[in-house]
Amino acid sequence: MRKFLTLLLGVLLFSVQVLAQTRTITGKVTDANGVPISGASVQVKGTNVGTVTQEDGTFSLSVAPTARTLTISAVGQTAREVNIGTQTNFTVTLQAGGQQNLQEVVVVGYGTQKRADLTGAVATVKAADIENKPFTSVDKALQGQVAGLQSVAASGQPGSTQAILIRGVSSITASNAPLWVIDGIPINTGDASRLSTTSNLLSTLNPNDIESISVLKDAASQSIYGSRAANGVIVVTTKRGRAGKTRFRFDTEVGKSDIAYRNERYRPLNADEYFTITREGLVNLGLSAAQQNTTLTGLGLGNGVDFNWLDATTRRAGQQQYNLSAEGGNERTTFYISGGYFEQEGTTINSKLRRTSGNFRINHKVSERVNFGMNMNGGFVNQRAPLAGGAFGNPVLSSYFTLPSRNPYNADGSYNLNATSLGGLHNTIALSELDKRYLREFSLRGNIFVEIGILQGLNFRSSFSGDFNNLEEDQYNNPFHGDGQASNGRAFAYYTRYMNKVWTNTLRYNRALNQSGDFNLNAQIGYEAQKSSGYFSSLQSQGFPPTFRLTYPSAGATPITANATISDYSFVSQFASANFNYQNRFVVSGSFRRDGSSRFGGNNRYGNFWSVGASWNIDREGFMQGLDLFSQLKLRTSYGVNGNAGIGNYDWLPLYGYGANYNGQPGSIPTNVGDSSLTWELNKPFNVGIDFGILRNRINVTADFYTRKSEDLLLDVPLSRTTGFSTATRNIGAMKNTGFEFAINAIPVQNRNFNWIVDLNFATNKNEILSLPEGNDIIQGSFILREGESINSFYLRDYAGVDPANGDPLWYLTDDKSTTTNNYSSAARVIAGTSLPKYFGSFTNTFNYKGISLEAQLYYNYGNYVQDPWGGYYVGAGFGATYNKVARVLERWQKPGDVTDIPKYIANGNKSFQSGSTFYLAKGDFIRLRNIQLGYNLPKDFISKISLTNAFIYVRGTNLATWATDENLPWDPEQGTASQSNLNVFIPKTVTIGLNVGF
Amino acid sequence: MLKMKYRLLPVIIGLATLSSCKKEFLELNPPTSLTPSQALGSEGDLQVALRGVYSGLRNVDYYGRTFPILGDILSDNTYQSSQNTNRYTLFNNYSFNVTDGNVAGLWNAAYTVILRANNIINSELTASPGVNQYKGEAYALRALAYFDLVRYFARPYNDNPSALGVPIVTTYNPDLKPARNTVQEVYNQIKSDLTQAYSLMTQFTNSSQFSKYAARALEAKVLLTMGDYANAKTAALDVINNGGFSVVPAASYVSYWTNPAIETSKGETLLEVSSDAVNNLAFDALGYLYSQGGNYGDLLVSEELYALMETGDVRRNLYPTGNRPAGVPAIFVEKYPSIVGDRDDTKVLRMSEVYLIAAEASYRTGSEPDALMYLNYIRTRRNATPSTATGAALLDDIIEERRIELAFEGDRYHDLQRLMLPVSRSANYPSSARTIEYSNFRRVLPIPQGEIDANPNIRTQQNPGY
Repeated sequence: MRKFLTLLLGVLLFSVQVLAQTRTITGKVTDANGVPISGASVQVKGTNVGTVTQEDGTFSLSVAPTARTLTISAVGQTAREVNIGTQTNFTVTLQAGGQQNLQEVVVVGYGTQKRADLTGAVATVKAADIENKPFTSVDKALQGQVAGLQSVAASGQPGSTQAILIRGVSSITASNAPLWVIDGIPINTGDASRLSTTSNLLSTLNPNDIESISVLKDAASQSIYGSRAANGVIVVTTKRGRAGKTRFRFDTEVGKSDIAYRNERYRPLNADEYFTITREGLVNLGLSAAQQNTTLTGLGLGNGVDFNWLDATTRRAGQQQYNLSAEGGNERTTFYISGGYFEQEGTTINSKLRRTSGNFRINHKVSERVNFGMNMNGGFVNQRAPLAGGAFGNPVLSSYFTLPSRNPYNADGSYNLNATSLGGLHNTIALSELDKRYLREFSLRGNIFVEIGILQGLNFRSSFSGDFNNLEEDQYNNPFHGDGQASNGRAFAYYTRYMNKVWTNTLRYNRALNQSGDFNLNAQIGYEAQKSSGYFSSLQSQGFPPTFRLTYPSAGATPITANATISDYSFVSQFASANFNYQNRFVVSGSFRRDGSSRFGGNNRYGNFWSVGASWNIDREGFMQGLDLFSQLKLRTSYGVNGNAGIGNYDWLPLYGYGANYNGQPGSIPTNVGDSSLTWELNKPFNVGIDFGILRNRINVTADFYTRKSEDLLLDVPLSRTTGFSTATRNIGAMKNTGFEFAINAIPVQNRNFNWIVDLNFATNKNEILSLPEGNDIIQGSFILREGESINSFYLRDYAGVDPANGDPLWYLTDDKSTTTNNYSSAARVIAGTSLPKYFGSFTNTFNYKGISLEAQLYYNYGNYVQDPWGGYYVGAGFGATYNKVARVLERWQKPGDVTDIPKYIANGNKSFQSGSTFYLAKGDFIRLRNIQLGYNLPKDFISKISLTNAFIYVRGTNLATWATDENLPWDPEQGTASQSNLNVFIPKTVTIGLNVGF
Repeated sequence: MLKMKYRLLPVIIGLATLSSCKKEFLELNPPTSLTPSQALGSEGDLQVALRGVYSGLRNVDYYGRTFPILGDILSDNTYQSSQNTNRYTLFNNYSFNVTDGNVAGLWNAAYTVILRANNIINSELTASPGVNQYKGEAYALRALAYFDLVRYFARPYNDNPSALGVPIVTTYNPDLKPARNTVQEVYNQIKSDLTQAYSLMTQFTNSSQFSKYAARALEAKVLLTMGDYANAKTAALDVINNGGFSVVPAASYVSYWTNPAIETSKGETLLEVSSDAVNNLAFDALGYLYSQGGNYGDLLVSEELYALMETGDVRRNLYPTGNRPAGVPAIFVEKYPSIVGDRDDTKVLRMSEVYLIAAEASYRTGSEPDALMYLNYIRTRRNATPSTATGAALLDDIIEERRIELAFEGDRYHDLQRLMLPVSRSANYPSSARTIEYSNFRRVLPIPQGEIDANPNIRTQQNPGY
């Protein structure tokens, strides 16, 4: 570090001498509508002498007398070159367009860079691609937008978590979620709720407040974030104001949604079908006719009820959002302010989310060299999510388990709350109204900064940021029926708060190193301290008065839970980065970061992370000047080390925990094995990529190959249960991800009235586990970890179909599939594919004809398998005889000679057919019409009459069609990255109409 | 020109940064946990940790629910109604396999109790009456856990003492991968632990914790199971004569079962696992599967067991009749009726059983008059006709009395195991699972798949048939 400072100082002194012979030019950059563009890059061509425009679009730059041409570029705009001559003041207008333009300015870690200077793999997403979508959080909107970024839903619950993997899974036990940095704050993300089935802190952020997203995919771009960069970094910048006349914008969208994917073979049986197959099951069980009749009567045979629970617990759901923003200001002060309202219903009854959000930013320029500003982004979410998985109160479970002969209503129309007459299951239709499950989530993300130009090219910035999340959860279970019955009613009130504070100080230096401007240095050093404090209080009481009206814990007679605790973590970091540029032809970059974290023991508390990168802009070479084919051509490569610290806050400590109470007196138990030498998991990404544009950038291609190796994995090593523990977290094992990413943007047709744009992205990833403790397999439920195999490999007994002679289920005895057995326990388990796709991506076509636009995006996913862990209950050959079944059981074996894959139906089950096997595994390949949108830009001359600057109306379909290759795929193919369904709220397809106006 | 105040700002911030960069910033301790040395540092700490051991018995797959249920559903006392919530179906049908969650839960819960007990036994605190008492209780708890494990995961002692038992772990080492010890070694460990427990303990806390004579009663049961009848009788008589506990009389028999509170003075209960209004398993509690008052009530009384009880037998009052599902006659279990508020405790050892142990041990050691006396001591306190049987019929009466008295307490299966008898079930059970010979491989539970997967030394030692 000290050496670096000395170098920086030397550079400073050197550059001061250079200053003397320059002159100053000024100007202003605007977009096609005359709106000033802030943050645009203004640069002397062939040098690295340059600056960026202020909030009002103006710039001031000292240039050498030899300077001839200025290159001006900005995010989302096509770059322009302007002759300097003797002129000293310039007004430059940029036109929109230019996907992945090399002159584009890209937000990276702790700053911005021109794409031409990048040595790393950075993908960007524009505001237009995430605005006004019917998604509750921005992570859901990222699906298909970035090559190599896999975004998978697991639930259609509005506000649910979304799994994001960037370049595969690199950790077995620690988190695989990327680091989100919003306006410079490394924020807390994920599901912070403790009572709700699912939630997402990002759902408090209105995607309409986002200006740009950068996805950092390799060492050169990530390693500046050190120990939290291993899973990739997503850098979000919220919208900022531009100087000029105050501009308003209003956007709205309303629509309806329904279940996106249905498989008719997995529809629940009606009463006739159920009783027919159940009688068959009882006959096969050996019951006499009299016993069959009494049993079937007990199940409701002949009671005249044939109720469709699936129809009753699902619905066409509503969706709406409204966003209003204003921006403006003058040359010294700019502002942006917005407010939004978003409401979405789930396809399951009483599943809902409402969000109210606001964003505010103000920037003020004190003088040419000093400016400061602040921004505040907040959202309030009110969410209601039903139970999921095997809970009897889960409406999705009840729609498949509850018999059609069970009536949710009494003869007088009131709710049937008699457990016995519901077969022991819960009346979820009644409970969704009588019980309550609320989450109120409030987030505030704010930043205040000051930036001081100490010398020309040397800037100091100090920024203090906070990320505050507050969750209040209320649950009430009535005393009459359902989960509250056992305790005469119960109510919970949980409070969760995270306060995350970050202080960042950076010193940035950006200068030409010699007179001709051939050598340029862009460097910074920084210091960052972060502390996140979690605070949790939980209370529950039971024994409620016999009414549905008193729903808060105060009304309960017996206090059951009275808890409060905290959980904190802290990081202290020093970092530095440098980018050295020779004639814009060669760029080398390096970064270094030293992180200390409270999550690790004294022995291994600090870790060092770094990267090196290089790029070659071949199109700048003399020998390329004559070649018209390539408008851009760039090679880049990088390598480095970063880390993963995504484990529990106190996992390194051997612990005794409290709360194992007995007879109302305190009890303590060993809770954690601990490891005082526990430390960072390492990730070593290597990347090589090419960017090129041909035919005057009509075709732009970015291709990357990467391999990244994770070492010293933070791994929950399975222990013999005889030790009293099941796992211990250790640094052991290694894993590798290798992949190829490809993105193409082409404009096959472009003329004055019509253009056609094609975007295609494609990504492969191959995961391989390189080493495990002592080379031993680790089996985790349905998955195995085995050296040489991919993580998330399903390891199941291999189902061999039905014995045509007797209807027995068969499994392969050995993995060579030579012999079968009807004894489940003796069958061998085999690796049967992984839950992670071999490749995935999207294909988008956009057509613009005059004011009319049509956009269609297909998302595709190939090569994974999806498991249905609950299938044994509704497909199992008679297992769970008192629960309803799905249509697929009708294909069961009935007589010798029948060839089918569903065994003979025997009440209570046929030889462990219900237990996990490859039968309950389906191929996960699918193509989905993710987005289709038809829009019309109202003519300018018309809208100006009603004082509008622009107006756009559209109709949009989301997830409108899903094509799966496997006819046995029971549920939506998106089931998280583990690809295991869990009877969640169905993922919706949505049709919306929208309006965007500016005035 | 940049004003001086702005030039100074970076310096000020830089200085503030350096001063804030303290080591303590990265030293954060967990708020609700302590390190083992902090948590076991004093006599009071040991007492707190001891309660943690007892709370481990309450695990849903141990005394909380699975352990007592398996003893009756794997035998001939309780069966699953056709209207059920699919709990314990595979045990009712005798079709469970190596991936069974309840079996894994039982294995894990028992070894968790053993770890917690080991940490107390191995404490290096200076001996004192308190420390001795807590260590004594921990020894007894460890013996209980091994006794439960070896009875479910191995063939009985009198079948073959050198057959594979379960791994013995007496010290904490997370990396241990133990192979199975022999049945003989496990029983030696149990007996040695119980000797320690008996000599160390001096206090009776209440019925939910081990006391000197509760440990002695457990020893009597262990010895009876091993077939060491003479010593079993000695131990049982020590409890009867010196323990100070008494058998519950007929008049208060029903209220004994309906009262969910623990006994704070010596009575019928030598040891029970406490569930109270706060620390309980809610709808996963044992009572929920038997009681018809809640949503489950899956398990019913087999007609054959019910028929063994005379009309006047006070125990019949615990088994009302009704219908389940509608139209199908059924007999219900009301031994665990407290499914809200303070929950039923799970009985582990009762004085009534000690008398029945004394009776059987007397018979086996050739003292039929004693056997009859101890048997009828119980029968007369249940308003049942005293037995007058002799010879083999007397032994049958004693075993039958155990079946009636200890029904739904998880005991019956272990009697059939140690006596190496087939399970003969009534027509209440599925026709495919009415006679389970002693030789059937499912008469012992499988070593759970998770243990086999994580422990290479036990991988080749799975019970035959699985």
